Amino acid sequence: MPLGSSSSAIQIQNPASASAIQNVPRTPTRITIHPVALFSILDHYLRRKDDQDRVIGTLLGIRTDTEVEVRSSFAVLHSETSEQVAVDMEYYRTMYELHHKVNPKEVIVGWYSTGSNLNTYSALIQNFYSQETTPFQAVHVSLNTGTEEGEQAGVKGYISSPAGVLPKPENAVFVPVPVELQFHESERSGIDLLTSTASSSTSTSSQPLTDLEILESAIQNVSNMLDRVLAYVRAVLAGEAKGDPAVGRYLMDTLGANTDDLEKGGFNARLQDTLMLSYLANLVRSQAEVSSRLALINA
Amino acid sequence: MAAPSMAAALAASLPAPSAAPAPVQPTYEAIPASMSKVIDVEAEIPVNSIQLDGLVVSKILKHSREATAATAHGLLLGIDLDGTLEVSNSFPLPHHAGDEDEKSARSVARYQASVLRSLREVQADDSVVGFYQASTLGAFFNQSLFDTQVVHQEKLRHGGVVVVHDISQTARGNASFRAFRLTSSFLDAYKKTNFNTSSLVSHQLTFSSILEELPVRIRTNPLLSSFLGELGTSAVSPLSDTAIGSATTSALPPSFSVLDLNTGGLTKNLEQIGEALDSYRTEEGNLAYLSRQIARERARADNYIAKRKEENIARVAQGLVPLPEEDVTRLFKIPSEPSRLESMLLLGQVDAYAKSLAETSSMGLVKMYATTAGSG
Repeated sequence: MPLGSSSSAIQIQNPASASAIQNVPRTPTRITIHPVALFSILDHYLRRKDDQDRVIGTLLGIRTDTEVEVRSSFAVLHSETSEQVAVDMEYYRTMYELHHKVNPKEVIVGWYSTGSNLNTYSALIQNFYSQETTPFQAVHVSLNTGTEEGEQAGVKGYISSPAGVLPKPENAVFVPVPVELQFHESERSGIDLLTSTASSSTSTSSQPLTDLEILESAIQNVSNMLDRVLAYVRAVLAGEAKGDPAVGRYLMDTLGANTDDLEKGGFNARLQDTLMLSYLANLVRSQAEVSSRLALINA
Repeated sequence: MAAPSMAAALAASLPAPSAAPAPVQPTYEAIPASMSKVIDVEAEIPVNSIQLDGLVVSKILKHSREATAATAHGLLLGIDLDGTLEVSNSFPLPHHAGDEDEKSARSVARYQASVLRSLREVQADDSVVGFYQASTLGAFFNQSLFDTQVVHQEKLRHGGVVVVHDISQTARGNASFRAFRLTSSFLDAYKKTNFNTSSLVSHQLTFSSILEELPVRIRTNPLLSSFLGELGTSAVSPLSDTAIGSATTSALPPSFSVLDLNTGGLTKNLEQIGEALDSYRTEEGNLAYLSRQIARERARADNYIAKRKEENIARVAQGLVPLPEEDVTRLFKIPSEPSRLESMLLLGQVDAYAKSLAETSSMGLVKMYATTAGSG
């Protein structure tokens, strides 16, 4: 699930040299981000002060061989003027320690900022975070909130490498790294809940939903898709559109699904099992209710 | 707390009442009608619904899934406005082992204070309005939840709420968040630390009347809404010769796991009903044993009194001085009636598990019939 537009940058890995020098970790080639980190950044941006152009913070997560998995993030106080940039170190340390208590597995992997311009200060902050994450490279994720005119919301990831004849902290080349959204499958329904909330006109939705409502919306979704496919097929048959053989094969695979299992005895067997469970559950519930009422009778 | 101080500042900046203030409710005069919904210094407008921000939803989801035990809990931060409790942020509390209660409680309190201080520095909400708790299969009745909530209900403005998140239901495709508050009758009984039969009867307490549910709404702020919208749109892949499945890329492709016919987790659900029933039976057995003991002791005491009375009547008939009727409570130790709270909570667990099983199986039925209708 890639975030943002892809870039033309090429990541070159040299496995031979990496294995030869054991203590030099490989550069990350992929960054994955958990939605909660992104949402925290957005919330931080929303709560910035008037005079702040952008906000920065720390990214926490887990590193694997060539991949950085960003799990969460926290805001860091900083100030930028035309002459200098300052990061509140004490605040940063406290926050990290607090976070470490709850999520001991997550370590500092880099930093985020909003907006998409990379300047000298970005290089300085990157240098600071690189010191924090040594021997690993710090990653930088810039999130464009899309609030400024002519800019599209998106997320970009970078790693840095020193530039210039003499290495200076304010000189760095930011190399783009692909960023992807990643979350556990069981969290999917939560994300779906948020997207459906976001697309409703009032930006609110009420809870709790029943399972049936969810099923209904999923079926409606499928039914809409079938309508679209049907319209396409009709257009092809009428000769208005040129048929795509690949689409045809996909349709045949999808719609030719076999439901024989259900039609033969399988349906009845499962029906009986499910009915039994339903009966049992309701029996237990009514017994529990009776029992709780009986407890109220004073002998 | 940000809420009262801001409200106080607003109230102070308002013009002084021109008319002579009514002696009964002078404070109402100072607040114009248009502001009466917004300024609520004394927390007089009761909270009747909860609004969860998208950030809170995702934070709870993540914490609940990653927590080692099924006891992920944390604090909710926000503000109340005209009857709606707006929860805008949350943070997880560290999981502590049950042993060193005193020590861990203090370290949690320290942790909590420093998180709140840090959040204030980045302009985030920092007033605690309740806590959240993760549960599996709908069973969230446990003693610690009630203990925490009782403390909150006394300390927090508006008494605080508990938001329960069901992990297993979320994994099945329905992210569920429910908000609860303790009922006044339960609080009353809890304060008297008295959960014997007569107290339960007088408070009309069953497991279903311990908590009252509050309606929950989920809200996404405009920034988040637009960002999520951006994630959902699909862009055409820049590579021209990709397979058709990956021709368009989207950060959030649609998912249809809800339509999956296989209703997993039923066996586990059944097992848990069995376990809950077992522990309920054990608890009931203990209660029955204790009440038998009480009855036995009481019968012995009654016997003793009756015997003494008979003896006295006989002595009076013989013209002797009657023996003094001693205090029976000193002779016989009648144990106090046991608390029925534990057994009530266990029954609540049984009910919750059974409810979850009933829902899953009825969903399974609907899906099965839908498939046969579709294939036939």
